[in-house]
Amino acid sequence: MRQQQSMTSSGVSIIHAAHLMKTFGALLALDDCSITVERGEVLVVIGPSGSGKSTLLRCLNGLEEIDSGRIVIDGIELNHRESNRLRIRREVGMVFQSFNLFPHLTVLENVNLAQKLVRGRSTGEATKQARLLLDKVGVGEKLDQYPQQLSGGQQQRVAIARALAMQPKVMLFDEATSALDPEMIGEVLDVMRSLAREGMTMVVVTHEMGFAREVGDRIVFMESGRIIEQAASTEFFENPASERTRQFLRQIL
Amino acid sequence: MVSHLPKPATLRDWLLYLATIAGCIMLVLRGAERLGYSWHWRQIPRYLGSLSDGVFVAGPLLKGLVVTLEITGYSLVLAASIGLVTALLRLSSSSIGRVLARMYLEIIRNTPLLVQIFFLYFVMAPILDIGRTATAVLALSLFEGAYASEIFRAGITSIDRGQWEACYSLGLTQLQSYRKVILPQALRRVVPPMTSQAVSLIKDSALVSTIAVYDVTMEGRTIIAETFFSFEIWFVVAAIYLVLTLTLSTLASFLERHLFRTHA
Repeated sequence: MRQQQSMTSSGVSIIHAAHLMKTFGALLALDDCSITVERGEVLVVIGPSGSGKSTLLRCLNGLEEIDSGRIVIDGIELNHRESNRLRIRREVGMVFQSFNLFPHLTVLENVNLAQKLVRGRSTGEATKQARLLLDKVGVGEKLDQYPQQLSGGQQQRVAIARALAMQPKVMLFDEATSALDPEMIGEVLDVMRSLAREGMTMVVVTHEMGFAREVGDRIVFMESGRIIEQAASTEFFENPASERTRQFLRQIL
Repeated sequence: MVSHLPKPATLRDWLLYLATIAGCIMLVLRGAERLGYSWHWRQIPRYLGSLSDGVFVAGPLLKGLVVTLEITGYSLVLAASIGLVTALLRLSSSSIGRVLARMYLEIIRNTPLLVQIFFLYFVMAPILDIGRTATAVLALSLFEGAYASEIFRAGITSIDRGQWEACYSLGLTQLQSYRKVILPQALRRVVPPMTSQAVSLIKDSALVSTIAVYDVTMEGRTIIAETFFSFEIWFVVAAIYLVLTLTLSTLASFLERHLFRTHA
């Protein structure tokens, strides 16, 4: 039902990406990919390695430039205008596979930096927001530590808090648990799960099928730069339309 | 098995070491004797400084040291600035900026410093109407700045791409990313190579004596011209440079260990 909604009323969708093409040299990374994401929706992108999932995600906030196509986020078109790019990035948080915390800054400074520079908050305001979020993701007692003093799972939760501190309208997760030791995956997924429950709009690239099934409203399956299938979560897992999807699910489930 | 760890010095090492030093001293003394050179070490201290009526008066070598320090100090700051700007230009998206930076770099690195000093002194200084000391500072800064820029560039490109992506994903501009995230990390990494560049700068500054800037080297040459104490004076001049460069190296390693304690 939700899927039909997004097809018919693309006007209210917060992410609108149409006919994206992207090549890396001779490699066709994205081949005519179109997705829309509704406010409050969790879209999970799955597929084999090298299928273009991460590239699709990275194009959405302009970390990769598309060769052609159109991306509109919250009514702002992502184009060559620097100001648009910055406005979009302000509203779109991103969490990386390799955390990418700033190693020369403490946990608190990591979360405060962009709040002060981009949102223009005072140190006091920023710190208040940071404490709130760091508490929420369960690393509230690590404020003055440096990233490499934390475990991988803690670092990733700090990275999530850093992105959330900007109060983004959309969160992008690029294989957020792939670099973690197995025992730490759960704590990061828990944070993502609670975010989804609170109604955060999320686009999640992941290999965690259990999580995709449980949290995802809609699933996009990609292979070789193309979107093979997109469907509501239950429908996707229980009754996949394409043979390729069925084959993929058999392999990993 | 070959061990890569330094072994503690044995008595035999110390004896060898002392014998080598003694041999060097012997060689100089014997050579001087053969040349009929008469040593005048007692005359030398007054060229460094003397007491007159209980007040210390700096001699020519000490005055020269002050000039050397002045010139290298200004050049160091200027060279670092030129280096940083050039590195940023080379890494910028502006093709004009990249070409300009590249041209500057190639010209400086592929011509002798002495020729650059003469070019600035005989060609540019009259045109720009600047004095000898300013010319010296300019020449040294332009020269060392080219090398500094390569060090900065290496430092900046050594920062993981993920740091840039984190900045951009948070909405930081390129300038903000450089200032708050990239440069603070890159600068820590370039302290060791920048130190050896600064040591080079101190040593290269001796060349400005060729345009009659009265640095330590020039003062030394002047004293020798008057007194023919060439052996003693060159020993002293060399020692002064050694003290300068070793002090700088020590200071830099102290900085590295204490101030810039890296968390990366």
